[in-house]
Amino acid sequence: MKVSYYPGCSLEGTARPYDVSVRYVCRSLGVELQESQDWSCCGASPALKMNSLLSTALSARNLALIEKTDITDVVAPCPFCFRRLKSANEDIKTDPELKRRTQEVIEAEIVGKLTIHNLLGFIRRQIGLEPIISKVKTPLTGLKLIPYYGCYVVKPPSVAQFDNPESPTSLDEVMAALGADVLDWDFKTECCGAGLALSKTQKVIELSGRLLKEAAWRGADMIVVVCQLCQANLDMRQGDISSKQNKKYEIPIVYFTQLIGLAFGLSPSELGLNHHIIDPLPVLRQKGFSS
Amino acid sequence: MFRFTGDASEKNFLRQVIDKSGQNLLECLQCGKCSGSCPVASENVPGPRQLVAEILSGLKDEALSNPLWWYCVSCGTCMTRCPVEINMYEVATALCEIAQKEGVQPSEPDIHLFEEIFLKSVEKYGRVKELRTVATYNFRTRHFLKDMDKGIILMRKGAISPFELLKGWKKDPRVSRIFEKVRKGGQGE
Repeated sequence: MKVSYYPGCSLEGTARPYDVSVRYVCRSLGVELQESQDWSCCGASPALKMNSLLSTALSARNLALIEKTDITDVVAPCPFCFRRLKSANEDIKTDPELKRRTQEVIEAEIVGKLTIHNLLGFIRRQIGLEPIISKVKTPLTGLKLIPYYGCYVVKPPSVAQFDNPESPTSLDEVMAALGADVLDWDFKTECCGAGLALSKTQKVIELSGRLLKEAAWRGADMIVVVCQLCQANLDMRQGDISSKQNKKYEIPIVYFTQLIGLAFGLSPSELGLNHHIIDPLPVLRQKGFSS
Repeated sequence: MFRFTGDASEKNFLRQVIDKSGQNLLECLQCGKCSGSCPVASENVPGPRQLVAEILSGLKDEALSNPLWWYCVSCGTCMTRCPVEINMYEVATALCEIAQKEGVQPSEPDIHLFEEIFLKSVEKYGRVKELRTVATYNFRTRHFLKDMDKGIILMRKGAISPFELLKGWKKDPRVSRIFEKVRKGGQGE
């Protein structure tokens, strides 16, 4: 299976462990990721806030490049890139006037004919659990995981068109397929503070703090995420949250692809598990998944 | 209870927001599910219900200076729960566009500054250079040492490299051109 891969800016910046593990997992599952060398930023939340046409155009530029190839499916690990690419694709398909204005701005033809997947959806639905189960060498038995989806991958449902927006299960299923002990909780799709990370840090400390408190109470060894913004907020702010709540949190925040890779037999350092602020290695060692 | 005075500007503003956002705010039931769900609403930041009420009532100045749409992270929770499926982040974009056009000062300068610095990077290089964006933001807000501790931990672990800040990147004129064209012709309807 060959798909177009849109890593997005964070995955070549602070979220490199996500990129590394995505590439490894897809290779293991027989998926060929074709990355366009020419991709540019989708504009993320700042473009979406500041200018609607700019936001559509920045995503459309990338879609137009992919439309020129023979590939029909695009996979985006970043849930915000997913949201923006998918919205632009749908909007251009259904709004001729927007399509005309977008084409004028990007100076290229665009049809809106691609299928845009978020990485979790692609792995759970397009690849399925069977191939994953058959590749597991080291089942993650005894590892207690809190599955955290965040917002953009499922909300709003009319845009994301994936899983249940309030109580999704796909990440739970993928983690269970690896043999992990998946814990239930109520905050699967509650917001971590997202793009307010720098400008309103206190808000992030409050929102991510709620998530950590609940995850700790449930007895999580780790929180599994599908979004690099969730990862950054929960990992980077954990010290501040600990001070604020006067309670010591040390819950590693890992990408789901890192755990798939670990179960497939890769070492933690090959998956960038040594690159997080809250080090996952002690708990992995304690549970026997790392020497 | 607010009542329309009949001034045309009240209706114009509502019409403008509806047209720009594509969201039929007239369907709003004022049920308040959105405000109960909104992660960024607080004692200082009104929830979406109040913002929609302001727009419906023609309270243009109040709506354009409402901090909510700056805070909005477009999580989509309000729309998920809204009985008439109003997409508030599209409303936020519409208000931001109107506020910029009319020269309204951002009620949340920090959020505005971050978004500007972020987009500058996209405009120049075609992609966001994260570390430089963070450093520029902290420099401009004079919080020079903010998050330095985390940066040092990540550098020690080899997760990020300080050279990232120093090295030059290729500019991408094709993306700059999109910004230019949007500025020139694409503004407004």
